[in-house]
Amino acid sequence: MGQVLINGLYSGVQYALIALGLTLIFSLMNVMNFAHGQLYVLGGFVTYYVYGVLGLPFVVALLAAGITLAVVGLLFDILFFRKVLARSARDESTMLLATGTALLLDSLFIIFFGEKHRGVPTVISGVMRISNNIFLPYSRVLIIIISVAVIVFFILFMKYTRCGRGLRAMAQDREAAKLMGVNVDRYSMFGWALAAMLAGLAGAMLVSVSGVNSGLGTWLSIKAFIMVMIGGAGVISGAIIGGLMLGILESFGSSFLPGNQYLAIFIALIIFLAIRPRGLLGRQ
Amino acid sequence: MNRKQKILLLIVALAFYLVLLPYLCRDRNYLLGVITTASVLSVISAGVWLIFYIGRINIGQGAFALIGGYTGAIAISKLGLSFWFGLVMAGIVSMLVGIIIGLPLLRLKGVYFSMITLSLTETARLTAQSLVPITNGPNGILNLPLPGELSFFGITLIPDFAKVNKHIAMFYLSAFLLIASYAVLYRIINSRVGWLFRSLQQNEDLASSFGVDVPRLRVIAFAICTFYAGIGGAFFVAMQQSIYPATFSVQDSTYFLLYCFLGGLGYVFGPLIGTFVLYIGFEMLQGLNEYQPLIYALLMIGMMLWLPNGMLSLRLPFLAGKKSPLGGAK
Amino acid sequence: MRFTSAVRKVSLGMLFLACLWSASAVMAQDVIKIGVLGVMSGPAASWGLVNRYCAEASANMINAQGGFEIGGKKYKIEIVSIDDRNDPKVAVSGAERLIHEEGIRYIIGPNIDPTSMAIVPTIEKGAAISIPYAFSKKLFTPPAKNSILGMIASYQAGPVIYKYLQDKRGIKSIAFVARNDSESLNQRDEGVLAAKALNLNIVAASDSYETGTTDFFPVMSSVVSSNPDLLVISGAAPADTPLLIRAARELGFKGIISTETAQDAKVISELAGDLANGFISVGGASTPAIRSSYMEEFIKNYEKVAGEWNDEAGTKVYALEIILNTIKAAGPAALTDISLFMKAIDTFSMPNPYLKDNRPLRYVGLGDFTQRRQISVPMVVTEYQNGDFQTLFVGEVAN
Repeated sequence: MGQVLINGLYSGVQYALIALGLTLIFSLMNVMNFAHGQLYVLGGFVTYYVYGVLGLPFVVALLAAGITLAVVGLLFDILFFRKVLARSARDESTMLLATGTALLLDSLFIIFFGEKHRGVPTVISGVMRISNNIFLPYSRVLIIIISVAVIVFFILFMKYTRCGRGLRAMAQDREAAKLMGVNVDRYSMFGWALAAMLAGLAGAMLVSVSGVNSGLGTWLSIKAFIMVMIGGAGVISGAIIGGLMLGILESFGSSFLPGNQYLAIFIALIIFLAIRPRGLLGRQ
Repeated sequence: MNRKQKILLLIVALAFYLVLLPYLCRDRNYLLGVITTASVLSVISAGVWLIFYIGRINIGQGAFALIGGYTGAIAISKLGLSFWFGLVMAGIVSMLVGIIIGLPLLRLKGVYFSMITLSLTETARLTAQSLVPITNGPNGILNLPLPGELSFFGITLIPDFAKVNKHIAMFYLSAFLLIASYAVLYRIINSRVGWLFRSLQQNEDLASSFGVDVPRLRVIAFAICTFYAGIGGAFFVAMQQSIYPATFSVQDSTYFLLYCFLGGLGYVFGPLIGTFVLYIGFEMLQGLNEYQPLIYALLMIGMMLWLPNGMLSLRLPFLAGKKSPLGGAK
Repeated sequence: MRFTSAVRKVSLGMLFLACLWSASAVMAQDVIKIGVLGVMSGPAASWGLVNRYCAEASANMINAQGGFEIGGKKYKIEIVSIDDRNDPKVAVSGAERLIHEEGIRYIIGPNIDPTSMAIVPTIEKGAAISIPYAFSKKLFTPPAKNSILGMIASYQAGPVIYKYLQDKRGIKSIAFVARNDSESLNQRDEGVLAAKALNLNIVAASDSYETGTTDFFPVMSSVVSSNPDLLVISGAAPADTPLLIRAARELGFKGIISTETAQDAKVISELAGDLANGFISVGGASTPAIRSSYMEEFIKNYEKVAGEWNDEAGTKVYALEIILNTIKAAGPAALTDISLFMKAIDTFSMPNPYLKDNRPLRYVGLGDFTQRRQISVPMVVTEYQNGDFQTLFVGEVAN
């Protein structure tokens, strides 16, 4: 039981990072980023090359993954999304665009990184034995600590900096924010960079524990959607709760309903959404 | 374009599709198979398009196609019914499930509806995998017979597929499904119900304040959508003579959306054009191995950058008249 | 280096694009086209890609010698490959394309049961042979006759490994964990049957994980708590194996871990490191102790094609070689007429060029399928030690 909870917590904090980015992009631009899982995978590959192949310290790899992904996020906004958002008659067109970018990233991964699964040496080895049958490897402790730190930092940033306030104003009402002098274009760009960076950091941590391969993206995007549905789209606290909940549900599911955990999660989700269409904390 | 020109264009298109294409492909089973597949995929995407038309995004069409496929397969293999009965049953069962699931879920708006329908596809796959006694689980249902003869008082309406050229027979069956489903769709869109559907897309609250029964209309649209999916799914079962949990996946569900998007959401024939162009385009790129999805992705992104409202938004003179009165904004 | 090879591949691809239209029109006559159909994208991409790389590497070796001689005439080998994305629909249209558009009679792949079964009607109607890397007995047992198993099936390797461990290491209890998809679940069920036949105590057999899982702690903690002597990972994708091993070890599992499918040592060492020592799997002709100089040369060619070696290729190297040599034995008419090929199967035998001991390479399967519909790939049972596979013993399918 304790082990189940700890497993859930570990996946949950990582999931929360992914869900935060997804929900940020959604709240700013009303874009459902289908390529979010792929961004996460890219973060993993950057870490593999910097930490695994070049042998630089893990912190450098973490930074490299964050910065690379921020740049990719920026480019996504400037090259693709801004143009389509400005010109298309319906915002759903961005969904096709996002699916297109997901496919683009997937095929580039296969071409440049190959078909093999990649991993790196553990950052810290050893296992913490909490009690007789509860284990927690130190590598996971590290990830939990970094993830929680990033989440806390993100919340503080959104609450107390000028930039964060601008983003929140824009998320609440794009038009009003524009009238009040917020540079909407610049903040969209910034939002994309921030969201992609979160996904990249999560990917960097993932590779140190479970490795990464070219085909992981789609399933992770689906998981990110589940989290956002549980918590409610466009709300920061919702994304965190959604991520944690999915981690814990997954963990409980695989120990009590082996083989059918995802079926159970999906069915529960459908019933839950029929009762609470906006998720736990979703905006009206 | 006036009415006469329209009818002429339609006759030319039908003649090309029903006579010239199968004649040209008579010895090229693969090409004929590609066209057959595209025809039925476009029937399934037509359902997705209708949901777009009422202002929702359905990423769960794969789930209903899978339900239809399994219904057809079970009707043929376990109940020993004929394929033709199975085909109709597939449509109806898929529609009933659609209505039951749709009643609560259609209340969800925007991305919530999209995301939950996305999960539906995955749910359907996992269910097919778990319900071993009915679906044969991960092994799938195999070795299904080809569609048999359909006769009416001794007069053969449709010959036994095993006794004629299977590829040609499949093509004509798919062509029939395509023409019938788009004719029905066109009729609906240009009727009073179509007008009401349009009002849902623009503003549900406004529509309901004018006394439109919004929930009922939504369910009607969803029922039609899932019926199309069921029929399409059952057709695939007949064509491949097998079905597996993976026969329709999340990827298929998103592709249906892309077909609609690419053809143009404002046009009844949008999904038709989108499916043919995208599916056949994808097959053409097969020889390029890993560069195939890359080029495909670039094409898709390029389309969105240059033609964000779909291919039919190209104002070619002969297409201008087909534009349905649907405006832009959601 | 992976990256430079990718750049090279991109430029080659561009060149290929340019040549595509003209090349297809003027097809020289003395070319044998062989198809590769399999999953080449998504999480299981390595299965199909390794098939493709193997076929391409073998073809390059043959073409560098001036071609393959059949009936006194030399033929160039051309590989046509199609990604079926593990989707039965795509596999069917891919098979139709290979058979009807390219005129291909011999197809290597697909990689899983659903895709391999789905193309059966197509290859029967199109008179073609497929070499699936999937294990369902229905594919190879009469009335089916157009598919030939390209590797050792899990239900063939399983009993051998379990028996070996029972005799030599004294295991008594066994547990299974599988991925939640058709292929792996079937392999698990076959494994359970084999374990029952050996009177092993099955302590866990229902645990599974979803495709794309990156955290195996949840599933492993429930398996490990049953504390088996042997933990079998059924149908493991090479990407998942090291993570499963690591999760089990980190949870304090002390027993033996094994799988019946081919794995790659580099991935295991990157992800699981020394935790994977003692891990048992089945490979082909790739361990240094048993491979011939021809195999060494093949590995070099493989690296040219794929960028780096993959141990999974050890079991997949055989397909093209045995297809071509069987056609040679059956005579040039077998290039288009597969019934001649099928007749030749029963008596065909050649020295295995990839192993030092040159044991015969032939068709087997009488025991499991009542007809010869399997390539006699040697069953090389290996144990992982500090970054490499060590050969434990080399077995084979009896008949």
